[in-house]
Amino acid sequence: MTTAEAAAYVHVPFCRARCAYCDFNTYAGIDHLIPAYGDALRAELRAAPHARARTLYFGGGTPSILPLDLLAELFHVLRLTLHIPSDAEVTLEANPGTVPPAYLRGLRELGVNRLSLGAQSIHEDELRLLGRIHTWAETAEAVEAARAAGFDNLNLDFIYGLPGQTLARWQETLEAALRLGPEHLSLYALTLEEGTPLKSRIARGELRPPDEDLAAEMVELAEEVLADAGYFHYEISNWARLEAQSPKPRAKRWWEPGAWNLKPEAFSEDISPFVCRHNLTYWRNEPYLGFGAGAASWREGRRWTNVRHPADYIARLEAGRSPAEEVEEIPPRLEMGEMMMMGLRLAEGVSDGRFRARFGQGLEEVFGEELARLQDLELLEWDGRAARLTPRGRLLGNQVFRCFLP
Amino acid sequence: MDPARIRNFCIIAHIDHGKSTLADRLLEVTGTIPEREMTAQVLDTMDLEREKGVTIKASAVRMVYQAADGETYELNLIDTPGHVDFSYEVSRALAACEGALLVVDAFQGIEAQTLANLYLALEAGLEIIPVVNKIDLSSARPDEVAMELVDLLGGAPEEMLQVSAKEGINIQAVLEAVVRQVPPPSGRPDRPLRALIFDSHYDPYKGVVAYVRVVDGAVRKGEPLVLMSTGVGTEPIEVGVFTPGMHPTGRLGTGEVGYVATGLKTVQECRVGDTLTDADTPAPEPLPGYRPAKPMVFAGIYPTEAEDYNGLRDALEKLRLNDAALVFEPETSQALQFGFRCGFLGLFHMEIIQERLEREYGLDLIATAPSVAYQIVTTQGETLEVSSPADLPDPATIQEIREPWMQIQIFTPAEYIGPIMELMTRRRAEVGTTEYLDARRVVLHYRMPLAEMIVDLHDRLKSATRGYASLDYTFDGYRPGDLVKLDILVNKEPVDALALIVHRDQAYEKGSALVRKMKEVIPRQMFPVPIQAAIGGRIIARATVKALRKDVLAKCYGGDVTRKRKLLERQKAGKKRMKQFGRVTIPQEAFLAVLRLEGG
Repeated sequence: MTTAEAAAYVHVPFCRARCAYCDFNTYAGIDHLIPAYGDALRAELRAAPHARARTLYFGGGTPSILPLDLLAELFHVLRLTLHIPSDAEVTLEANPGTVPPAYLRGLRELGVNRLSLGAQSIHEDELRLLGRIHTWAETAEAVEAARAAGFDNLNLDFIYGLPGQTLARWQETLEAALRLGPEHLSLYALTLEEGTPLKSRIARGELRPPDEDLAAEMVELAEEVLADAGYFHYEISNWARLEAQSPKPRAKRWWEPGAWNLKPEAFSEDISPFVCRHNLTYWRNEPYLGFGAGAASWREGRRWTNVRHPADYIARLEAGRSPAEEVEEIPPRLEMGEMMMMGLRLAEGVSDGRFRARFGQGLEEVFGEELARLQDLELLEWDGRAARLTPRGRLLGNQVFRCFLP
Repeated sequence: MDPARIRNFCIIAHIDHGKSTLADRLLEVTGTIPEREMTAQVLDTMDLEREKGVTIKASAVRMVYQAADGETYELNLIDTPGHVDFSYEVSRALAACEGALLVVDAFQGIEAQTLANLYLALEAGLEIIPVVNKIDLSSARPDEVAMELVDLLGGAPEEMLQVSAKEGINIQAVLEAVVRQVPPPSGRPDRPLRALIFDSHYDPYKGVVAYVRVVDGAVRKGEPLVLMSTGVGTEPIEVGVFTPGMHPTGRLGTGEVGYVATGLKTVQECRVGDTLTDADTPAPEPLPGYRPAKPMVFAGIYPTEAEDYNGLRDALEKLRLNDAALVFEPETSQALQFGFRCGFLGLFHMEIIQERLEREYGLDLIATAPSVAYQIVTTQGETLEVSSPADLPDPATIQEIREPWMQIQIFTPAEYIGPIMELMTRRRAEVGTTEYLDARRVVLHYRMPLAEMIVDLHDRLKSATRGYASLDYTFDGYRPGDLVKLDILVNKEPVDALALIVHRDQAYEKGSALVRKMKEVIPRQMFPVPIQAAIGGRIIARATVKALRKDVLAKCYGGDVTRKRKLLERQKAGKKRMKQFGRVTIPQEAFLAVLRLEGG
């Protein structure tokens, strides 16, 4: 039996406190479940389908809540089942308030080589509004400690478009973030999710709703500032630094002439070594296996999702049952739509060659009409080799993605 | 049955004063329906009626009652529609009776419809039996309300029956009063048949079932009949009474109330108010008062999805089987494509039809703002009737535009006269007399263009008077007015379905309010969309829907592909339900924006 490739994801659904904007599958106050959860994860991993994982990602939640010994046990099983090569990208998400230097050194020893810190803002009032448990000073310390521990691939997450946030304050956040010299930045527009405290505060009129026009200006500002600082905008919300050089080259923005015609077909990795290879798997709609509560897997036309609540997840595995709860068969036509919806998020776009290799039909054949219409609207660019969003399309992505869905 | 022992009566009441509950109780007490079979409000057959709390279709039930005098009486209860849109149907139902129970809520007292229906009943020469209902309510003030009735009708306070239909208090007294006070029918059994049609419904097996009151002669199954105004002939398939289900008797004699299953295919052939007579020995004269139903309010109704056009046509045809007042004809709009111009008795009637189309036939509809029928006198001297602003001819060819005016009565506590005056005069109303019913209550009389009335007047009136005022209206006549067509341009193109006919003095204010409202309801598109109001090519107001700057999911990773995809799919489906006009997507709300303007 040949061993297929798949990205591996491990979900850690524990947090010290839930953030005001978060609707992920995370829980505060159930830390007592952590040991049993670790056992359940190992049980799920032992029963995992054969695969070779070139990337491994611990997401949450707050994976940095897990003690090192528990992580060590997980790594042991992960390496046994998933054939993780030595050059694999291994990311762990961390809350800057939960990473003492010794912990960071321990992570490095376990083989974690990419750390993703949820910084969110440099302003204390904004951090409080978001319900974060850490300060900006702690983020800066965590970065320093991570460097000292040997991390040479760091990501920082930030959120913009907050109620009351001005363009000037966002610029301060960007500039302070750049001073820390991260290899990667994820900048997310605040999304008000149903059932979150932030959404209800806005609904009650306690806070001003975010201004979408201002959020558009903020992302444009970020593009400007980060391009000048040598970061490559490779996905709607993600930037990766170009190879370290001195002086730093100005990164080409994804629509600028010449950004893509370096080679007949250029992909994100060709431009920056710091793009997140794990997440590229998602955006390219390639196979992945998810482990843990609520984690999703995708492979061979089928997507399945584990039970969401950690207690249910543990119970299932203790009973020797599969944690998979929802199974969705994705017919080819829908898979094509998903490939567009995910792939167009990337600056590299959707490659006709890869599309054809997967479906046996080219983009023009399947989506000729949509491509033409979106080109007319100046939302999309199609040169016969790849379909990509225009700068306008990048801000109005949903208008584009929808066209490819049923 | 000997006419001397027949009593034909109806119940008149303001909405929610308990007419249907009292009717139910009468059926129960007379044993017409055993208590255990009572479903609340038997006479109202449609769910919609029950929900809206009003009676749309009149109905007629025969009860057999043994009175205190030892005699057995045949009591025919004729139910009347409870909304002013159906005042003609009310008048015909009243004409089938000799008496009326005037039901008044023991807390709310006399209201506009109480009065309007009372005047109709008095005009029809009915004996009025006042009934104060809901005396069980803790807020009830039955003696005060009885005094209001004494002031209105004369008589002694103790003659005003005090009942609770809900609790079954004093129902027997109501039946006794009907027997004693309502005169027996006075028709002539020896004359040729004359039967008044006061309602009808369509039955798929028996055709149109006419609800009739036999005035003279008798009607028998199988004997050929003719409808005197339309000349349509028919041989009744079945003759009977409602108990309250259809119960064949083969014959209805003088003074009796029941049904004739005509076998006719449409209610249009068998109109309310028409007279049935014997085909072989016809009566020389029909009964007085026939008037064909005339729609007053018009609106375009369009399917959101073009493929539903045939479904909409079929549904309208089905509704028309039972509704002689509904008219429609195909209409083409540049903005909304293919639909129907529909005519209704009033806004309420329109709402009911629209709701039934959506609910019973599962259609997704876009309705344009309601309009009235204008009379256009051309420079050639012709008179055209135009019920859609889009059909207005070139202004250069118009000599005069006439619009329908209404007589309006508003019944209100005296402290709201000020706000009502303000509301009415802003809507071009002419102030008529003010009548004080007592120290606190007044009836205000106005004349007002119907066009001003159909835009939300009822709701405005309610909010100006904290719900206390009520309104009644009748058609007054056509009058010339300084009217202009207000075009609404979206993205520089006039949208025919948004055009309005307005008074010149209000054009600027309406135009500005309308473009502001449209700006709110038209979703931002991928480019700026100018919205303009214009009169004859001159722009009088404008606003711009800013371009959509940003609409993109911030995050999309492996764990949420399905959820995010479904979100996008839902947005896409939502967009389908809007109308694409050129490159602009216009939601249904925009077509009704004119009804939702501030101020007004």
